[in-house]
This record gives sequence, C-alpha cells and structure tokens, in this order.
Amino acid sequence: MLRKSMMIYPEDSVAMVLEDSKKGDVIQTPRGEVELLEDIEFAHKVAVAPLACGEPVIKYREEIGYMLKAVPAGTWIHNHNMGCDRGKVRGAKI
Amino acid sequence: MTFQGYRRADGRVGVRNYLAVIPSVFCADKTVERIAAQLPGAVALRHPVGCAQVGLDLELTARTLIAMGRHPNVGAVLVVGLGCERFPPRELYEAVKASGKPAELLVIQEEGGVTATIRRGVELGGRLLAEVQSQRRVPCGVEELTVATKCGGTDATSGLAANPVVGSAMDRLVAAGGSAILSELNELLGTEQMLMRRAATPEVAEKIRDAIYEIEDLLQSSLDPSLGGSRNELISPGNFAGGVSSVVEKALGGVHKSGTSPIVDVLPYATAPEAGKRGLFLMDYESHDGEVVTGMIGCGAQMVAFTTGRGNPAGHPLAPVVKVTGNHKTLSHMRECFDFDASPVISDARSVDELGGELFAYLLRVAEGEQTAAERFGGDELFCIGRRHGCHRKDPAELRACHGE
Repeated sequence: MLRKSMMIYPEDSVAMVLEDSKKGDVIQTPRGEVELLEDIEFAHKVAVAPLACGEPVIKYREEIGYMLKAVPAGTWIHNHNMGCDRGKVRGAKI
Repeated sequence: MTFQGYRRADGRVGVRNYLAVIPSVFCADKTVERIAAQLPGAVALRHPVGCAQVGLDLELTARTLIAMGRHPNVGAVLVVGLGCERFPPRELYEAVKASGKPAELLVIQEEGGVTATIRRGVELGGRLLAEVQSQRRVPCGVEELTVATKCGGTDATSGLAANPVVGSAMDRLVAAGGSAILSELNELLGTEQMLMRRAATPEVAEKIRDAIYEIEDLLQSSLDPSLGGSRNELISPGNFAGGVSSVVEKALGGVHKSGTSPIVDVLPYATAPEAGKRGLFLMDYESHDGEVVTGMIGCGAQMVAFTTGRGNPAGHPLAPVVKVTGNHKTLSHMRECFDFDASPVISDARSVDELGGELFAYLLRVAEGEQTAAERFGGDELFCIGRRHGCHRKDPAELRACHGE
C-alpha cells in the first residue's frame, strides 16, 4: 500500500511516514520508491538509502546522529539503531 | 500597528491585569493561596523557595520574584512574607513599589499568625483589587509586545509544523517592531553554527556559542553513569515515542520556532533587555518547562507561544500560554487543551506562511483579552523559579577547546 511521507530536504537520508504504516507498504521519496521493512508509526523516520555503521543520519540537512549498525533502505531509524553524543560525556556509555 | 493593552506607571504594557499575591518564601504559600482565593481577579504565585539558599540560587529566586511583581501583566501586588527568610520580603516589596505600582506588605510573624494575616490580606487585597480594576485598556504599539517561545511535549510534528508556524508568527512580530525570546539551550545542541550566523553582531555570536557550550557542559556533569534505565536520557519518553530520536533532532526542529530574525542579544535568566533594545533574544537557560517559561516572562514576555505534539495543559498565572500543535491525532484526542491548529501544514492543505499570519492575528486577540485554553482551566503550573546548585563558571576558552575550536 502506498503511504504518505515527507522528506524535509532531498539531501536528507531519512523520510518521515505521515500515517501509521505496515511492513511492505511503500513510500514515494525524491530518492525513489522505498519499501518499508517493518511497521513504522506516524511521524517516525525511515532510511531512504542503505546506511553504513557510523554513517551520519541527515535530517533538516544536518547530522541528527550516527548509525550504530548498518541497515538497508526501508529500515525504521530511531534510538535503537542511531546514537548521538551531544550533551553526553564523550566516550562514556551514557 | 496597535492593540488594546494596560499601560503601567513605568511605561511598560500589560496584556492582563492581575492582583498578584506573592509569597517571599514557601512558608507563606498556604496563607497566600487562601488570601487570593477570597479575591476574584487575584492570582497566587505559590513556589517552593525563598530560604536555605545561597549565591546564584538565591539570586535567581530574588530576581524572579521581583520580575514577577514588576511584570506589566500585574496591576498591583500584595507581598506576604514569614519574617525570618533569607529573601527579605521588604526587598521584594520595595522593588515592586519602585516601579510605581500599588503594593502592600504583610509579614506573618508580625501579624501574629495565619488567621490574622489572611484577614488583613483580604482587606488590603480588596483595596488593591479596586485600584487594579479601575485601570482600562488603551491603544498600545505592537512593538511593546514580547512573546516567549517554548516546546513542551514535543513529537516529530512539532519540528515540521507547529514550530515553523510559530517562527513565522515571530518573524511578523519582530518585523512589526516587537520582540520574541528563544531559550532551552540544552535543546539547541547542534544548532550553534546556525544560530551564530543569525547573530546581529560578532559579540552576540560568541555569547550564543559560549552559552550553549556552558549548558552542554552542565548537562554532561549532571549525568550519572551509576544510574541505569532512562535516568540519563536527554529527551523524554514522550519525545522518543513521538518519533524524535536524539537531542540534536529535537533541537533542529525546535529552533524553527524562533523564525528567521537576527538574534540581537543573549539575556540572563529573568533579566530585561537593555532599554530600547527589541527583536529576537536568546535567554540563557535550560528547558524545564516551568522554569524556562517563568524566566522568559521575567525577561518581560507578556505571552507565551507553546508548541506541543503530545498535548500539554499547563498554563502560567501571569501570562496567557497559547498552545499550538502540528499533530492532528493529538488535537482531535484532547481538543480542549489547544488554541491553534498547525496540522494543515502536514496535510499540505495550508502553508507555514499562511498559518503564521493567522497565528500572529490570534496572538494579538489574546493580547487584547481573548482567553486561552490554559486560562479557562486556571492553569498555573508553569510558574516555577530557576535553580542553580553550585557555582558553574568555566572558562569559555576551555569549553571551546572541548569542541575542538
């Protein structure tokens, strides 16, 4: 099923789904069609291209964090697979 | 451009006209509440501080309570003290009186207890209220308005719709000569370069960066690796559930609510700008909803534009808080808590600019007395006084070095 989505800038590496979406649903993005690999809730992010471990995640044309593991396009991107060190003690486990 | 407001003796302009009953210390809270409850049109500024504090922490309490008493949304003030507290009730009373506002002072230990203080407070308060209610709205320039901006209960729609719409309204306010305030510096991490490019002068750019780095350092020093679970998360469970995955993602969405105007200065907590300075300000403080909103009201904001995707009922006793959401699901689920719907930006039905214009017009109606959702509920939770434990003054050069500069 085709689902509504939004990419803030075409250079971003994630889009947001604008309705609760299911695995197998498809979104249209400036980077082409992306099939969702899992259920993704309203306003959550999905990778529009494969992302490598350590690669910056780009939204609003800025780095919002970096990948904790490599994922294919269509993966739900959230704090389970994306890290961010700002505001934390560098190198610490928190 | 003008609106109908209350012109005070010191020249400042209010959008509401309250008798504020203010305890100088928490020991007077119940007495203050019981006085205000008997005086329709009075608000009680209940708080948990005023004693057993030192240094900057006590200074923030004093500065905030004085700023609330002198605030232009307040027509008159009744100060109620206990008598032995560290923040002297007379200091608060004198500071309010110096603004030319009608004020009275009662001290519980001098009056002989709670009952006597309440009796006398209702009597004096009744007289002050009569003075307050004799004041009338007059035409005032929009340049006299300052709006504080705040996100609370952020989800991913806040950054897409509600914050850009508030930003568009703030651009209109600043273009009309008015002022807006952005704060919550711990939630601006990652936007320093963007904000520095918007600074009116190179000195302001340095102040912006140093203030954000200092807050980040304070945040880092507050984290405790011995605590597990979510105790060290920098954003709330609701933010995560709403699709926000990091403090920087939250910041990049949050910064939109300041619009695109140049930043003219960085203000300390609850401190008015230099006389005559207007435009977009940054206030140096973190993001506890009540503390940061009270600080910006202390800087002179008469209203608050508050964006929330998750839904939030909180209000402030002195200033109308306008709730804006970009989440149509939350809006239909808790309609009574909202004032402005920015969700048509997401469904593509309306543009940010169009809704920004409508929000600006709505803010002017609120300035002229239209009640907000939080006012209808009597919401006053956002009156909280900023705290600072310990003296955190690091050399800005040392903090810049931590960021590889």
